[in-house]
Amino acid sequence: MTAPLLQLDALTRTFGGLRAVSEVSFDVMRGEICSVIGPNGAGKTSLFNLISGVLRPTSGRILFDGADITRERPARFASLGIGRTFQNLALFKHGTVVENILVGRHIHTKSSVLESAFFFGRTRAEEIAAREKVEEIVEFLEIEQIRDAVVGQLSYGQQKRVELARALACEPKLLLLDEMVSGMNQEETEDIARFVLDIRDELGITVLMIEHDMRVVMDISDRVQVLNFGQKIAGGTPDQVRNDPAVLDAYLGRRGRPSEPAGSAAHGL
Amino acid sequence: MRSGDFKETYADLIVLSDSRLVWAWAGVLVVALVVAPFVVNAYVLSLLTLVLITVTGALGLNLLTGLTGLISLGHAGFLLLGAYGYAIVVAKHNLHPLLGFLAAGVAPALFAIVVGLPSLRLRGLYLAITTLAFSYIISDLILEAKSITDGARGITVQRPEFFGLDFSSDPSFALLCAFVAAVALFACLNIQRSRIGRAFMAIRDNDIAARTMGVNLQAFKLYAFMTSAFITGIAGALMGIYLSFVSVEGFPFLFSIEALAILIVGGLGSALGAVLGTVFIVLLPEAIRILFSWFGGALESLLSTGVHEVKSIAYGVAIILFLRFEPRGLVGVWRDAKRLWTHWPLKY
Ligand SMILES: Nc1ncnc2c1ncn2[C@@H]1O[C@H](COP(=O)(O)OP(=O)(O)OP(=O)(O)O)[C@@H](O)[C@H]1O
Ligand SMILES: [Mg+2]
Repeated sequence: MTAPLLQLDALTRTFGGLRAVSEVSFDVMRGEICSVIGPNGAGKTSLFNLISGVLRPTSGRILFDGADITRERPARFASLGIGRTFQNLALFKHGTVVENILVGRHIHTKSSVLESAFFFGRTRAEEIAAREKVEEIVEFLEIEQIRDAVVGQLSYGQQKRVELARALACEPKLLLLDEMVSGMNQEETEDIARFVLDIRDELGITVLMIEHDMRVVMDISDRVQVLNFGQKIAGGTPDQVRNDPAVLDAYLGRRGRPSEPAGSAAHGL
Repeated sequence: MRSGDFKETYADLIVLSDSRLVWAWAGVLVVALVVAPFVVNAYVLSLLTLVLITVTGALGLNLLTGLTGLISLGHAGFLLLGAYGYAIVVAKHNLHPLLGFLAAGVAPALFAIVVGLPSLRLRGLYLAITTLAFSYIISDLILEAKSITDGARGITVQRPEFFGLDFSSDPSFALLCAFVAAVALFACLNIQRSRIGRAFMAIRDNDIAARTMGVNLQAFKLYAFMTSAFITGIAGALMGIYLSFVSVEGFPFLFSIEALAILIVGGLGSALGAVLGTVFIVLLPEAIRILFSWFGGALESLLSTGVHEVKSIAYGVAIILFLRFEPRGLVGVWRDAKRLWTHWPLKY
């Protein structure tokens, strides 16, 4: 269990003149819960977009499970074992909860258009197996009551949970969670924190999560990486990060970045 | 009220419908469709045949536009390709009608790759214009490729006869159309409840998330184009046989609009909606005709001189009214009515 599952090597992404992610390097170990924190606009979501194939890096490398996946086709990332949720809900809003989660089984099913049209043999067997898996996840995340609801009509917290369920249905090795608990109340937040621990402990999935809720971050993370202005400014155990002067500066914005004049730190470009 | 849903096995969860009532009604409908052609008069039979052919075509477009969210104004092009595919194989080369139907599906599906590939990055208006241009290019190609298609002369098509079954009479041809429509409906419902249909739906609702789930967007958009074109092409072949003559003029651009109107009126993305919408849109001109004949005189003569224009206007008005007042279409109305019925007198 010593080899890292994910290695980022000087990962960079620019948008025009803006360096949203700038030379970010860190490793995520197997079985770890690792958090990425940083002020608004720090480049956290952009980093996730790179790791999940939504965006292409400008430079740098992504190693996953020992292989270089930097140039993989975007649709391949799920099969490689990378699943994610989105900061702003990205559900299939006209589908039911079960239908949404079933889409997560896409890479685990193989039926062709013709087989699907007749719904015999393999398609039938696959659909039954997929449905069984989905029911397992529904139970795991305690969303039995809403399984047949159309997701567009659910509350924000419920939709977030459906997103998590959909990502779990992919059976990823690495799960990327982008601000799962933002906008949730205390109780929902605690539920999610418990689920994240269970996902790691019971399902054996490595978790990399972006989180603004510092209590959650400090409580359940094994390690924390801190971004500011696209750069990694600190990384380590929650205790190390908590007491790192660079982190305090970034969050309190007293001095901004060393190279920046004071006061321009708040939101970047 | 119906009792709660308790399922014993996972197989029970994936059935097309778990309601005995739905199956019973489907059975009644099948029997009615088998009997009707032999009892109704010629006028009603012609309408019935038209509805059945149109349902097949509408189901084809629904896969692309309703389910995958890729708008097409080139549907008439696929109908045309299907009709010519059949006519060339069966009428010109005297091959088996089943080979003709195969060609009627495969030819549009292959052309769908040609129009689909450049369309992979296009959406909305751009895709609409591209597919529209495609259908005009198809018309031109058919007119130019005289050695294969007989150009502007068109091809005369006989009613088919195969496996000892003779479809030359109107009732028996209506039965053939009913059979094809039923198979198309069944195939569409099955696609919708399997990984392919869910991938289509995922692309429509959120393509980035779909890709993150491992859906290959290019491949699945092409599948949607091809499957849609295949089913539409079969409808085109039936249309050609029904008209007993296949020509470019027989498949005007208005067909593309009619198909879109059907989906909007019926409810985008729903197979049941495609059926309801077809009945509505095919019968709409008839309703107008009856209405105009009551007023007689000028209105009636307007219809006889400008039936094409009156139809276009009626489709346009139907589209606008449904988009404005019932965007879920007839299928939405149907679901509301059903909920009211099953839960009455309770409110929920
Ligand atoms: N597709 C894009 N095109 C242009 N600029 C972008 C794009 N995506 C992100 N950015 C910019 O990159 C910077 C980093 O954005 P990102 O969303 O990664 O921040 P974040 O750390 O996730 O912030 P938050 O905490 O608000 O979610 C921002 O300045 C943002 O405006
Ligand atoms: Mg973000």
